[in-house]
Amino acid sequence: MNATIEDVPQRRSAFRRLFRDGAALLALAVLAVIVAAALLAPWLAPHDPFATTRQPLLPPVWNEAGQWAFPFGTDGQGRDILSRLLYGSRLTLLMGLLSVAIGGGIGMVVGMLSAFYRRIDPFIMRVVDVLLSFPAILLGLAVAAIFGTGVTAIIIALAIATIPDVARVTRSAAVVVMGQDFMEAGRAIGLSDATLIRRYLALNCISSVFVFLTLRFGQVILIGAALSFLGLGAKPPSAELGMMAAQGRDFLFFAPHVATIPSLTIFLIVLCANMVGDALRDVLDPRLRR
Amino acid sequence: MTETTGPLLRVEGLVKHFPVKKGMILQRTAGVVRAVDGVSFELRRGETLALVGESGCGKSTTGRLVLRLIEATEGRVELAGEDVRALDTGALRRLRRKMQIIFQDPFASLNPRLTVGEILAEPLRLHRIVEPAELTERVHELLRVVGLAPYHAQRYPHEFSGGQRQRIGVARALSTQPDLIVCDEPVSALDVSIQAQVVNLLQDLQAQFGLSYIFIAHDLAVVKHISDRVAVMYLGRIVELACKDQLYADPRHPYTQALMAAIPRPEPGAAGTRQVLEGDVPSPLSPPSGCTFHPRCAFAKDRCRSEVPSYRRMADGRFVACHFAEDIPKAEAAVDPEGADEPRYRRRLAVLQAARPQEPQPA
Repeated sequence: MNATIEDVPQRRSAFRRLFRDGAALLALAVLAVIVAAALLAPWLAPHDPFATTRQPLLPPVWNEAGQWAFPFGTDGQGRDILSRLLYGSRLTLLMGLLSVAIGGGIGMVVGMLSAFYRRIDPFIMRVVDVLLSFPAILLGLAVAAIFGTGVTAIIIALAIATIPDVARVTRSAAVVVMGQDFMEAGRAIGLSDATLIRRYLALNCISSVFVFLTLRFGQVILIGAALSFLGLGAKPPSAELGMMAAQGRDFLFFAPHVATIPSLTIFLIVLCANMVGDALRDVLDPRLRR
Repeated sequence: MTETTGPLLRVEGLVKHFPVKKGMILQRTAGVVRAVDGVSFELRRGETLALVGESGCGKSTTGRLVLRLIEATEGRVELAGEDVRALDTGALRRLRRKMQIIFQDPFASLNPRLTVGEILAEPLRLHRIVEPAELTERVHELLRVVGLAPYHAQRYPHEFSGGQRQRIGVARALSTQPDLIVCDEPVSALDVSIQAQVVNLLQDLQAQFGLSYIFIAHDLAVVKHISDRVAVMYLGRIVELACKDQLYADPRHPYTQALMAAIPRPEPGAAGTRQVLEGDVPSPLSPPSGCTFHPRCAFAKDRCRSEVPSYRRMADGRFVACHFAEDIPKAEAAVDPEGADEPRYRRRLAVLQAARPQEPQPA
């Protein structure tokens, strides 16, 4: 160390560091635009997303037959795709976010308890195994049978389907952390189990779990779309990206935009979420700072 | 300081057996590892007791049993008259203030997600050692005491070198103003020059705060430098416990003699006279009958194979667990107290004595 002791080094804030990563910044910007557009849907949408017109399957503007009144064209029932996209993103984002937050939160607690109290570990992990063996679609059907169909049912089903995966990932990360001396050091200081789990275990597992959750966010949106398609989620007149893509399936050969535009939107959301998640992991973990 | 008479720590018949499980679902106990098998000693206030021995002899386990970081199978641990093993969870957490630990690996022993300031503030807040308003000031003071600078408080552990991290570990142990610190090989992961700094820091702090140390180590040069008394452990038992000078001048237990002989001696020809220990440490799963050291002992007789030697006090005050401790010849290879016969060893001691901790850095 050549610097003298008076040179107190400057510390960069987490956001500053995030902004230095160009790709992550772009992804964050795109995601921000999509979220903002979804939130402002009632003001931005040029048409009523549910109103049908006499011009079904109108192509988007970049096609010569397109009209500026319907920038992304219309769907099979003549509804404006742009407007439905704006409203649909709301539901899709909300669904993905809530189910990942609820399922991820519960899964993390379960995984950490399993690693912390080795006595209950075999029992918790066998329950997780059983849950893992149910496909999310089947869970969705079961939840719909209990709570009825609808967005709430989908969120509950997706959250439940997320718990075992997150519990597994958290547990494997937590077992490694539990083996470290600093856990013992925390105990030697006299910290309670709750504090040890919160400030030692959780803080040290969260970065790996966080990346898994951003990936899971993409999967959840896709499964949610599948459930909507099966008629378990959003009900037909309401707009949801997955459902829109599913409805476009029938016209795939002569009006591909009906399915591809919502699909590309899903793709964009999932991609950006993954990139931001990756960058956040780097930023949040002090060891990966440069 | 509630009680000034009597030893700070009294350990009696401490036993830890780890069950070895077999099978995946219906786990049955296949055997027990006798990690610690009846250890007794006392520690006076302000004293340093070294625990030495080969890897796996149970010295670290003993340290953790004393602090009740792992639960003992049997035995009694008394800290300042209080029965540590009888305490409930809350009382134990309060008592932890009085007993702390410094770890071997400075890279694994600090929570990487907390800044150094947070690490040091945690015990202060938990045990309400200072008023919340004085928290920062105390953290800075702790950093200065161990030779770091106050601005280091904002940094994360990974930004420090091994020696600096170990100083942070020392500061954390000091923060609760403990009476007892278990130093679990605190310098064996550090360079020799840094070792000297940390060892001297520990000694200075002992003089300043009247600390008592249990110093777990396998480096006999460091042990000689820092300890008052030394306990030599073999297969979960103490085989010899004596004052440093007694032990280094004339080890009585054959195992201690072999350990002393194993101190590296770089002069040509010196190795010829060395008493080399044959064989490996027996499995603690099935220790040998009688004296557990007999398969490797050059002086073993029939009695050693059948009868477990008692842990007894010899005429000169030391404790030893050997039937023939009085009759065993003085080891030729024993290092004399001044280390005069061994230049490299003497140099190590000189380094230890010369290197004082750096002056506390200005704020």
